[in-house]
Amino acid sequence: MAALIALPWVEPDKFALHVISLIAIASIAAMGLQVLLGYSGQLSIGQAAFYGIGAYTSAFLTAKLGVPFPLALIGAGVAAAIASLLMVPITRLTGAYLAVATLGFSIIVYLFIKNEEWLTGGSYGFIGIPRAELFGYVLRDPRSSYYLNVGVAAIVYFVFARIEGSRFARAINAIRQDADAARASGIRVTLLKSECFVIAAFVAGLAGSLYAHEVRYLAPNDFTFWKSIEILIMVVIGGVGSLAGAILGAAVVVGLPEYLRAIGDYRMLVFGAILIATMLFGEGGLAALVATLGRRLAVAMRLVPKLPASRKVAQ
Amino acid sequence: MGALSLSQFIDLVVGGLAIGCVYSLIALGFAMIMRATNIIHFAQGEVMMLGCMCGLTSLWLLPALPLPVVIAVGMASSGLIAVAMELAVYRTLRRRRVPIMNIITATVGMSILCINAARIIWGSEPLRFPELFATSAYEFGGVRISPQLFWIMVMGVAIMGALQLFLKHTPTGLAMQAVAQDQEAAQLMGANLTRMMAYTFAISGMMAGAAGIMLGSMFFAFFEMGFITGVKGFVAATLGGLGSIAGAMLGGILFGLIETFSTVFLSSAYKDGIGMILLIAILLVLPSGLVGLWHKRR
Amino acid sequence: MSTAAPGECLLEARGVTRRFGGLVAVDAVDLAVRRGSVHGLIGPNGAGKTTLLNLIAGVHRVGSGLLRFAAQDITRDSTAKRARAGIRRTFQNLKLFGEMTALENAAIGLHAQTHGGFFDAVFSTPRHRREERSIADRSMAALHFVGLAGLAQARADSLAYGHRRLLEIARAIVARPALLLLDEPAAGLNVTEAAHVSDLIARIRDEGTTVVLVEHHMDVVMRVSDEITVLNYGRRLAHGTPAQIQEHPAVIEAYLGRAAETDRAQA
Repeated sequence: MAALIALPWVEPDKFALHVISLIAIASIAAMGLQVLLGYSGQLSIGQAAFYGIGAYTSAFLTAKLGVPFPLALIGAGVAAAIASLLMVPITRLTGAYLAVATLGFSIIVYLFIKNEEWLTGGSYGFIGIPRAELFGYVLRDPRSSYYLNVGVAAIVYFVFARIEGSRFARAINAIRQDADAARASGIRVTLLKSECFVIAAFVAGLAGSLYAHEVRYLAPNDFTFWKSIEILIMVVIGGVGSLAGAILGAAVVVGLPEYLRAIGDYRMLVFGAILIATMLFGEGGLAALVATLGRRLAVAMRLVPKLPASRKVAQ
Repeated sequence: MGALSLSQFIDLVVGGLAIGCVYSLIALGFAMIMRATNIIHFAQGEVMMLGCMCGLTSLWLLPALPLPVVIAVGMASSGLIAVAMELAVYRTLRRRRVPIMNIITATVGMSILCINAARIIWGSEPLRFPELFATSAYEFGGVRISPQLFWIMVMGVAIMGALQLFLKHTPTGLAMQAVAQDQEAAQLMGANLTRMMAYTFAISGMMAGAAGIMLGSMFFAFFEMGFITGVKGFVAATLGGLGSIAGAMLGGILFGLIETFSTVFLSSAYKDGIGMILLIAILLVLPSGLVGLWHKRR
Repeated sequence: MSTAAPGECLLEARGVTRRFGGLVAVDAVDLAVRRGSVHGLIGPNGAGKTTLLNLIAGVHRVGSGLLRFAAQDITRDSTAKRARAGIRRTFQNLKLFGEMTALENAAIGLHAQTHGGFFDAVFSTPRHRREERSIADRSMAALHFVGLAGLAQARADSLAYGHRRLLEIARAIVARPALLLLDEPAAGLNVTEAAHVSDLIARIRDEGTTVVLVEHHMDVVMRVSDEITVLNYGRRLAHGTPAQIQEHPAVIEAYLGRAAETDRAQA
């Protein structure tokens, strides 16, 4: 935590800070999907829709209506959350059917963004988005926007971390493992599934708003189903079910191409391959890998006693 | 909008049927794989695209290639690619008994892989097919039909007919159907599961390849053509009744007509949206599709 | 949870029918379960016992007929609604939440009795803290009741088969339901374990929960049931006390087989 706060002073490279900002923004959307996929087991490949709705709403509110940034940020989240209410009927579906339905929704929103030029600028893009401004202080340099983006990401992380072990978390976990058994225990499955969608959408909307004010230019092509898939890749690579994994995944998906220009064009190819590999070789993703390595290291350094092989540990 | 003239109407019907055939072939692939493995093969559209690309490449290499051969090449390549996917990845996942979600995610990954591989190999520009058909319209009793659409419909129907014959009247076809209905029983009767699964993927791949060439010749070929069309093929399969072969064929034709006629009422910019809305509507209202509806009425 | 007086009919099924395609799984069955009793439901394989149970639980929709619970018509209610009204169940094929601990599995049974949601968890409201404590205590009590207290922190899918059966029961009773539907709770258990389950069922009844018990283990059913209904080919064949059922000629013929009758003649 302290490291994150101190970082901009230690490594003031503007580009690095900008990349980390982007990673933070992406991780917010990824954490939202983690709640959806990792916790409640709903594969949504339509998160880009809410990301886009948030981005354009915030841009519109600040650029066209002069709404102050903090309100626009919340407004973006709310707009996305309200849009997600359209998904409520879809949450009755499961598995791949749900996935395809969310994909369809994402495509519809994309078409809307692309065609309604009067609202979004269409293919010409939305230009002239003002910088984020907090309490009269305009975030002019990468360092300030770094604090904003990483700050919001940290808040989202802590909020989601808080629900672990709670009645809510148990219930959606149960739904993921066996929806019928959950129903038999009186859980309102569709209601809770929808709640998760709203939460994930709100958070994706926040991310969209931050994105809009970070890059200050929006084009429909940023919000196609490819973006949805990118967010999915972040969650899968990082480890389905792990909140920290979502951040790791975002770091890989957003950060790696920025630093390995050689990958550039091959970016998606590599990610596709990694996706398949992760499914073949273990779904713990990076988070599990880090955890295993960390544990091995701790055992090697005799910080932690080695567990006897026969004992099964409760998670 | 106004009333449609007869020739406009005929054009729409023919166009709808032609694209419907394309959708049917893709939908068939979805249905067959769904019946055999219970997964939605997200990469099915990419199989189509790769078949199209390979067919086009063969035309570049040998420009004098007659159409049936091009189609055969396309079908063969897409069939092989589909089998490769199955043997390299999907079979392993099934053997490991990974949760279905993971297999579906893997097919998404496969889809991404194929699309980007295609972009690297063939570039991102749309590619035109050379003229494969006569340019002057055919005339049937006063009705003019473009040869391209005509032959696409004929080929589509022929391929689907051949598939039905294969499935119902050959030992392999019957074995495949048995495996789709009850894996254990089929194995006890001597069916080789690995081989049957491979055949399933091969045939659905071939269907997709044929669809790809047809689609490519109707419009153009490009690396992303499989994605949206793949989703639409899925819509068609769901409309007919996912898991039903007859349903897939029916759904494809129907969806092709719906989509083509919708351009009369809607701006073409939202044409793709029709499919998406239809998909969501079917999933919510009539999840077992038209075939399911027919079964209930009986 | 519900307010029918003891001895009164807590659950009533009238003319309940359910078809699957061409097969009539349950054919105009009447059932009357008295409050505070253990009501056994037996019959040969395919008699429709589990289907009837599923109809009561709300898994399948009734084709025709009526279901009343505590004088309320529940025929059209969803599974979750019935569960909230006080009908809980176990599953023949065990549907535990494998990745969660035994304690967490039991805690799920209390979800409907509590209210804390997303925001309560985030802000750790007094309600949240109060409820989590209560849930923990009551879940532990349920595990204690079935005899699994020592395994509270074990992952459900790491438990032995017999323990998993007990855990399903714990999850179903933690909310003290008015009606408990048990679908072959002794399936696959050895004699000792089955006896333990019989005792458990009796204790559950003594705590005030009415039980409907579908079972193939005859010693369990005969020992613990107050009344038994026999199904055959989806229809109600007989109804009475265990002693009456054991003597009932039609039941013996349909279920226990002619060999049993011959045995008795020779005794």
